[in-house]
Amino acid sequence: MKKLIQYELRKIFSKRLTQAALIALLLLSVLLVFSTYQNMYASDGKGCEGTGRTAVEVDKAIAEKYEGLLTDEKVQQMMTEFKPKQDLHGMNAVYLYQNALQSALFRSFSDLNGDWNGLSVSDVFGNEKIKIGYTYGLLKTSQNMVRIFVVLSLVIAIMTAPVFSGEYGGVDNIILTSKYGKTKCWAAKVIGSILAALIVTAVVSAINLVCAFILYGSSGLDCSILFAPVDFATGYIPFNITCGTLLKYQILLAFTSTISITGVTLVLSAICKNQIAALVASAAIYFFPIMLPVTEASSLFKIITLLPLYHTQFVSLMSVGQISGNVLYALMAVPVALIFMGIGVFISRRVFANHQVS
Amino acid sequence: MELKTIELTKKFGRKTAVNHLNVTLTNGVYGLLGANGAGKTTFMRLLCNIQTPTSGKIVLNGKNIVGLGEKYRSLLGYLPQQFGYYPDFTALDFLLYVSALKGLSEKSAKKKSKELLEAVGLSAESGHKIKTFSGGMKQRLGIAQAMLNNPHILILDEPTAGLDPKERVRFRNLISVFAKNRIVILSTHIVSDVEFIAEEIIMMKSGQIVHFGKPQEITSEIDGQVWECTVLAAYAEEYAASFNTSNLRNTDRGETILRIISDRPPMENAVRVQPNLEDLYLFYFKGDTEE
Ligand SMILES: Nc1ncnc2c1ncn2[C@@H]1O[C@H](COP(=O)(O)OP(=O)(O)OP(=O)(O)O)[C@@H](O)[C@H]1O
Ligand SMILES: [Mg+2]
Repeated sequence: MKKLIQYELRKIFSKRLTQAALIALLLLSVLLVFSTYQNMYASDGKGCEGTGRTAVEVDKAIAEKYEGLLTDEKVQQMMTEFKPKQDLHGMNAVYLYQNALQSALFRSFSDLNGDWNGLSVSDVFGNEKIKIGYTYGLLKTSQNMVRIFVVLSLVIAIMTAPVFSGEYGGVDNIILTSKYGKTKCWAAKVIGSILAALIVTAVVSAINLVCAFILYGSSGLDCSILFAPVDFATGYIPFNITCGTLLKYQILLAFTSTISITGVTLVLSAICKNQIAALVASAAIYFFPIMLPVTEASSLFKIITLLPLYHTQFVSLMSVGQISGNVLYALMAVPVALIFMGIGVFISRRVFANHQVS
Repeated sequence: MELKTIELTKKFGRKTAVNHLNVTLTNGVYGLLGANGAGKTTFMRLLCNIQTPTSGKIVLNGKNIVGLGEKYRSLLGYLPQQFGYYPDFTALDFLLYVSALKGLSEKSAKKKSKELLEAVGLSAESGHKIKTFSGGMKQRLGIAQAMLNNPHILILDEPTAGLDPKERVRFRNLISVFAKNRIVILSTHIVSDVEFIAEEIIMMKSGQIVHFGKPQEITSEIDGQVWECTVLAAYAEEYAASFNTSNLRNTDRGETILRIISDRPPMENAVRVQPNLEDLYLFYFKGDTEE
């Protein structure tokens, strides 16, 4: 059995298309990581400003000063420090970006002119304890990973599509007449596909996280996502979870997405006569939820967000609700992924074992 | 061991490829002959349980092969008429993979694979990728993979297609040695291939068996119906078209000797000759194909 699984992995990773897709995915990751890093901007208002590394250093230095629980005192101190020094010419001060902490502060506590709007911490955040620090780099990483994981899911479909259908070009004759062809070989194919999907997902997640920790540090992991710069304002997850929790969920959802898409693609691979058909069908199923005219207000939304595409677009799924404390409704993606995989396992077995060669 | 088909039928839409076939196969080499589209490949696929019969069944020692599953397949070796391979695998890789599918241990897989590569004359190419192989080389690799598990039931669909004469002889010898106490079924269009190694000849036409017997006996059916006539080479073509002609042979005197199958002497100078399998084949199929 081990041997058969090894062969399946070898078949999966030796396909040209798979190799090309994996390289493309890697390049995309690297590109996003570095362009995000280069495009960071921050100014401390005292003459130290810049992009890339400088920006991260400035942001971190400022965050260090105010690190810890957000209090009304800190709000006042920050308001003084970040008070706009030049004329705004009628622009809303919230959109005046100096640095990450200032942006997060102005979003909730500033009026149009950059003066305190009179709100206290509890006015804005209720009873939540908001821990602040340097979270911007990690949040940006999370944002990048959305795109990367969408592409990842497609790469997984590319890898899985030929698992059965690739054999229908004529090796099926030989496989299905061999002792284990309809039994262990099928199992090896399923296990091999799952392993391949898990390995690739793990590697891609690891690359992105490691890059983030190297570039931005990990000090923001236990800080709240609610006190975040203005690009994470509207429509962002409304719960007081930490950056660490956010990343954990996002990685978990990347896995549930790849597991689901593996399940779906296995079925299609067993059914379709060739791998391109399986791939196209799988991609169509994956992207199909985009077409559904359902808004967040609809009751169906709770169900639709459980489809794999929304695992990677994790924001809407994670915004659906909190079961309790740090446990979100998004956890439902796990049973959903298992169901998709179960369907994949069950149907591919029946279809492959009963496949009629021609 | 007894492999038996009972009212075995396979239909594709309105086309009946195998038609209420009843045959009992015991140890021995069976040569399956029949025109294009006669149903040979379909029959073999049914025997391998990679196509489901429309009706009827196949039993091994009284048990339906569908229920036997792995047990049946572990006895089986199959060379498809056309098969796929992994272009980037080497010949040895491919055999090792098929060995794993067949449940051979790693050690015996290596041993058996090397042995068979030797037996089909591919040991020098064992490390070459399959995509670099010629048609005949792929075919020989196909023969090798079918035999990896020492199958008790070996089904070969046109094994000699694409083999050069030397390889064909090598193949015949391989099968003759291998076939003891086994069921070997091979289909072919090259009658001489089975004439020497087959113990029984099965002739198929329109999905049915029209003849079943030993090569020597089977030709007795047309005893006295095969003739050789000598005609001027210029007219040979014309004569050949008007009779069921199995062979034309030019002599060095501007004449042609026609081999004709006919129940009456086709012309005055006709000489009666000993029938062979090829004559019998033509007797049944008159050179036509069924599509
Ligand atoms: N998958 C299929 N779908 C439809 N018709 C089929 C299929 N397979 C075979 N047939 C038909 O069944 C008949 C028998 O085909 P089969 O391949 O068994 O013939 P054969 O004796 O092996 O011929 P050949 O000598 O050319 O290999 C043919 O008429 C063929 O067209
Ligand atoms: Mg055929």
